[in-house]
Amino acid sequence: MYWNKSYECMPREKLQELQLERLKRMVNRIYHDVPFYRNKFQEKGLMPEDVSSLDDLKKLPFTTKVDLRDNYPYGLFTVPLEQIVRIHASSGTTGKPTVVGYTRNDIAMWSELMARCLVAAGAGPHSVIQNAYGYGLFTGGLGVHYGAERLGASIIPISGGNTAKQIMIMQDFGSTVLTCTPSYAIYLSEVLAESGIDPETLKIKAGIFGAEPWSENIRKDIEKKLKIKAYDIYGLSEIMGPGVAIECECQEGLHVWEDHFIPEIIDPNTLEVLPYGEQGELVITTITKEGIPILRYRTRDITRIIAEPCSCGRTHLRINRLQGRSDDMLIIRGVNVFPTQIESVLLEIGEVEPHYQLVVRRDGSLDTLEVKVELSEALFSDRISNLENLEKRIRDRIQSTIGVSTKVALVEPKSLPRSEGKSQRVVDLRKI
Amino acid sequence: MIRQVSIFIENHEGRLNHILKILAENKINIRSLNIADATDFGIVRLILQETEKGIEVLKKNDIISTVTPVLAAEISDDPGGLSTLVNALTEAKINIVYAYSFLPKKTDNAIIIIRVDDDVQQKAIETLEKVAEVNLLDRETLLLK
Repeated sequence: MYWNKSYECMPREKLQELQLERLKRMVNRIYHDVPFYRNKFQEKGLMPEDVSSLDDLKKLPFTTKVDLRDNYPYGLFTVPLEQIVRIHASSGTTGKPTVVGYTRNDIAMWSELMARCLVAAGAGPHSVIQNAYGYGLFTGGLGVHYGAERLGASIIPISGGNTAKQIMIMQDFGSTVLTCTPSYAIYLSEVLAESGIDPETLKIKAGIFGAEPWSENIRKDIEKKLKIKAYDIYGLSEIMGPGVAIECECQEGLHVWEDHFIPEIIDPNTLEVLPYGEQGELVITTITKEGIPILRYRTRDITRIIAEPCSCGRTHLRINRLQGRSDDMLIIRGVNVFPTQIESVLLEIGEVEPHYQLVVRRDGSLDTLEVKVELSEALFSDRISNLENLEKRIRDRIQSTIGVSTKVALVEPKSLPRSEGKSQRVVDLRKI
Repeated sequence: MIRQVSIFIENHEGRLNHILKILAENKINIRSLNIADATDFGIVRLILQETEKGIEVLKKNDIISTVTPVLAAEISDDPGGLSTLVNALTEAKINIVYAYSFLPKKTDNAIIIIRVDDDVQQKAIETLEKVAEVNLLDRETLLLK
């Protein structure tokens, strides 16, 4: 089943012609409309005319999350705000979020790609989609929502959380597709089991899970517990949001919609492009986006490109399940967390040179984040209540800054491991 | 006013021992010890025979300490002795943040270490000086007891 067969199954030669034509147009636009890109091109002595084949892409400059932050909030938009119909944001590496804007065409394109994803996962106009991704600045909720409407499915915009209500709706409304983070899917399955509800009595057939890394084992677990097929979806707000890539019924890698995005894999150290099949950092170029086209975005996600044809008939390249990150970003219950965000909180609290460590665990099916903070002389008090207040202040501040609840533990000075003078910031004990 | 050394420690085995060893190796006598504990950390409060030297060796070993002024009050080791002291502070509306006993070597009386809020310290001293049954001790006298 396809949503748009002529594009999804386009012969590769034709697809590459289309990509080149769109890439050239995109490069021209960003060169002329965005000073940031023009400067980067000029630094490398490049002109838009230097792109005459897809292979030329590797000569072009990268874009990073830092670039987005430096041009906060609208510096990389190529159109005036009156043409922007929606703004989303994701967590930045420090206090300020990363902001993206969509034109009417961008929303249409996103809806189209999301509709393709839903169909690849077996959904159709008859489906009842229970969308438990968060609605808001996060792209998950609205991304799925618009795709489902485009498809003509019935979307239930329940958003995240409130498990009892999720289960009631799943039972009463006859949801056939569930969309949420994989860890929430596991949690739901556990609550169902505890409530003595047999998943066979539910109409749910498929789940589309993303926004955090998960493994084949978790897939098997979810499929067994919920009696569904579980599909991996990939996306990031800087590129578009959910729906950049999706697994088909073969469940052997995620098809990247190449008529809109060009994926590359690079070595994160040398920045050289790696051949298909080799593992490295995923880099994506948007070739049709209007609001904020992004050239060679370093996603920091580690994967490899699968170039062999897929038996589903789609011709678009696949990426393997994500294998990790090339930076220290953590995904806690679907929320992106950078150690530097925690560091800014500690600086605000009064730590002059914060030493801290983030310990991530998976407690049952939920991720927990513990922040160990070395107590400094300046913040030490000989009263227990003062220290407990300090822990609480740090905890509250982190919660309001990054939206994740944490356990804060004060530890003795010089007790956290240091490598080459810098603390080892992250200990991830999750087995995923 | 007595200078008490307060030390932050994590609440797991070996941490107190670590501090006591450092003091022992540097031949610093501990005259009194009190431990307050929260869920995952604690505060060790010490009165040392040599406060300055103690702080110095702790710092050298990367141990955070702070000096807190506390009161030392000598009272008779009889029923009602402590009550008289606490009663006087209560009537003066002075809150005791914490208190513990000091073990004297050379007197049969009891000695109580009291921590009050910084802003009422002077008032606490004046209050207790007026109580006949209470003998406020300075550092020299305390360490001789």
